[in-house]
Amino acid sequence: MAGDGMSREPMLEMYLFEGNQLIEQLEEIIIKGEKAKKFEMAAINEIFRIMHTIKGSSAMMMFNNISKVAHSMEDLFFFIRANQNVQIDFASLSDLILAGIDFIKGEMSKIEEGQAADGQSEELIGEINTLLSQMKASYEIENSAPATVSTSTPDGQKAKYYISSYQAPSEDQVTKYCVQVFFEEDCQMENIRAYMVINNLKDIVSEMYHIPMDVIDNADSSEIIREEGFLISFSTTVSYAEVESTLNQTAFLRKMEINEVTEYPDQIKALQKRKEIILEDTEPVYCPPRTETVETEREGETTTTTNRQQNIISVAVNKLDMLMDIVGEIVISEAMVTKNPDLAGLKLDGFSKAARQLRKLTDELQDIVMSIRMMPVSMVFQKMNRIVRDMSKKLGKEVDLEIVGEATEVDKNIIDHLSDPLMHLIRNAMDHGLESKEDRVDAGKPAKGKITLEARNAGGEVLIIVRDDGKGLNRDKILNKARERGLVTKPDSEITDKEVFSYILLAGFSTNEQVTEFSGRGVGMDVVTKNIEKIGGSITIESVFGKGTEIFVKIPLTLAIIDGIEVGVGKSRYTIPTISIRESFRMNEKDVIDDGDGNEMIMIRGTCYPVLRIHRMFAIKNAIENIDNGIMVMIETDSKAACLFVDKLIGEQQVVVKALPKYIKKVEGIAGCTILGDGGISLILDATGILERQLS
Amino acid sequence: MKRVLIVDDAMFIRLTLKLMLEKNGFEIIGEAENGTVAVTKYQQLKPDIVTMDITMPELDGISAVKQIKALDDKANIVMVSSMGMELMVRDAILAGAKDFILKPFQEENVIKVLNKIKV
Repeated sequence: MAGDGMSREPMLEMYLFEGNQLIEQLEEIIIKGEKAKKFEMAAINEIFRIMHTIKGSSAMMMFNNISKVAHSMEDLFFFIRANQNVQIDFASLSDLILAGIDFIKGEMSKIEEGQAADGQSEELIGEINTLLSQMKASYEIENSAPATVSTSTPDGQKAKYYISSYQAPSEDQVTKYCVQVFFEEDCQMENIRAYMVINNLKDIVSEMYHIPMDVIDNADSSEIIREEGFLISFSTTVSYAEVESTLNQTAFLRKMEINEVTEYPDQIKALQKRKEIILEDTEPVYCPPRTETVETEREGETTTTTNRQQNIISVAVNKLDMLMDIVGEIVISEAMVTKNPDLAGLKLDGFSKAARQLRKLTDELQDIVMSIRMMPVSMVFQKMNRIVRDMSKKLGKEVDLEIVGEATEVDKNIIDHLSDPLMHLIRNAMDHGLESKEDRVDAGKPAKGKITLEARNAGGEVLIIVRDDGKGLNRDKILNKARERGLVTKPDSEITDKEVFSYILLAGFSTNEQVTEFSGRGVGMDVVTKNIEKIGGSITIESVFGKGTEIFVKIPLTLAIIDGIEVGVGKSRYTIPTISIRESFRMNEKDVIDDGDGNEMIMIRGTCYPVLRIHRMFAIKNAIENIDNGIMVMIETDSKAACLFVDKLIGEQQVVVKALPKYIKKVEGIAGCTILGDGGISLILDATGILERQLS
Repeated sequence: MKRVLIVDDAMFIRLTLKLMLEKNGFEIIGEAENGTVAVTKYQQLKPDIVTMDITMPELDGISAVKQIKALDDKANIVMVSSMGMELMVRDAILAGAKDFILKPFQEENVIKVLNKIKV
């Protein structure tokens, strides 16, 4: 989630991790609630709890603006929870809460980037408070009867006088005490501290009076205690020492005077008279049965969404990366041992058996580590709900987003790279794909558009499909535009739909005349393509004019292990990902065409491809120079292709991808490296990078 | 060394408390993310002190205090609360909690409260 976990304070790291998680959860709940025009009790509780947690954690981290925003939202949902039948204007409530979510998200990403979280929150808090007071006002009009819930006491003032239940006076010597207590200045909630003093004393005293009397329910009592101290008078049979030690149980005592007295002071005597009116001799009188139920409910409600987290722990991704790395090396070491040339010619029956067992276990280990890194795509998919919601509001289009197969799992590293491209595709579908309401009705379609986001496993890959039932792509328009730009080399009859549609994946290619806030600037699809190719994926498009468009994004399950062809150049070895290879073949020197600028090309089946000599590209000595003696490997991405000239093909194998060490500068065209069975190192070539390098 | 069980649904608060307490010579023997887990862990670990959040899913802190107290009358539980939750803190103390800490808390105050607890 967060960039470099190693270097940051663990507390900050945890704060951001948990905060982001909670905010995403919250967003999901809000959007669901808005759609359903209803917040379930569980949802309200969950929202309340999330805001409460964010408020608390942010205050701890001194991110006060986040804490304040969370606090105001917490208040809002506290009110909604307590007054469930209150009229809710869902649109403005959701807008406001989402604005709050955005604010918190923004601040958190600032923090993540090491900037100060200095966003202005006053306006937002003002709006939230306004909404709350509007709700309160309208609620009070509707319910002119006394409010069912409030923290005030419904039973009138008298019930508040608290006089504890006491043991009956015994025959022992009874001593009267007068105690004055002052708490430390910054101890906060003085009234509760005072209450604790009472609570501690109640078992040893036979009667007790204190000022202020209603420590808990009177909002001013903290203030009074802070300024004038807390005055307690009581009678007890226990010793002075025990009184003192009981009183000392309370923390944050600044000053305490304990005096044995013959008579209570006057203020207390005044209280004594009132006591006669309301004396109770059973359990202590705590006022508010009603408040109590509400408060308990406030705390007691539980939700279902957190149940499943019980047996789950969070692990820093870099630890998993390290684990994966080590497992990769174990797999390699295993091969180094069992296939060691020193073993040649030895009788190895027992060894082979043990080696097979080791092999089985390392395979299992590898599978398990891989599976640990797998995450469902649901988190990324659920984010799209928000995009669809915001855009449908702005564009005035009604849209249903259907999500299918969100439990499909892919490697964590891939998930992280999926969000941006998908966001783009969804935006495109909303903006260009779906027609306006009127156009849809005219075309005989339902006014409400539909976008489907689907994920499913397809062999060793995951297929993600973004489908809309909009107007589809205009083949002719795209083809004309492609011709204008000189992209088309074939006659119309030979060019397939797929090829035509793939033109829109090129940089700067937009047939959209209108530039909107969201899309149509001609940047976008090529960025999507690039991002997807970066994670070893590919994009294809299908579309029926007037019916809709389907975009297929194929991504590998993991980046950590790839299928590759190992090739040799001089003494070096390279691995080319199998997914980028179209074919390999031998050529004759005479077939190579020179364009005069030193660029070499070859013609294959009527198409011209650039030739890239790996030994030239990476300045390798003692490599085969003559085209006749080496071999060509054609690599391709969706839009480009080229032929790589190498000495020889060595073999096909699965390799564990390792990042290049930091001290090697990023070399365009190299995706990483892998360690071979014999301990040698093979650089992994990156088709996208090579083709780009060649063009520039 | 006093052995502490930390109960809070926020990982962040658990971590913060853990770091603070460990620095001051407490031993953190367990963590729980809701009241139900807290009650179970209390039975397993028999901690000297429990720090207990109030707002939690599954089972809230006050109910957890009641359940733990029913199991062990001598349990030492310190509530971790936010400002403005006086009534709940009072309920917790009525239920048998020994003291409380207010969020956002400072290390000094946390330690002061926990040191007051006689084990």
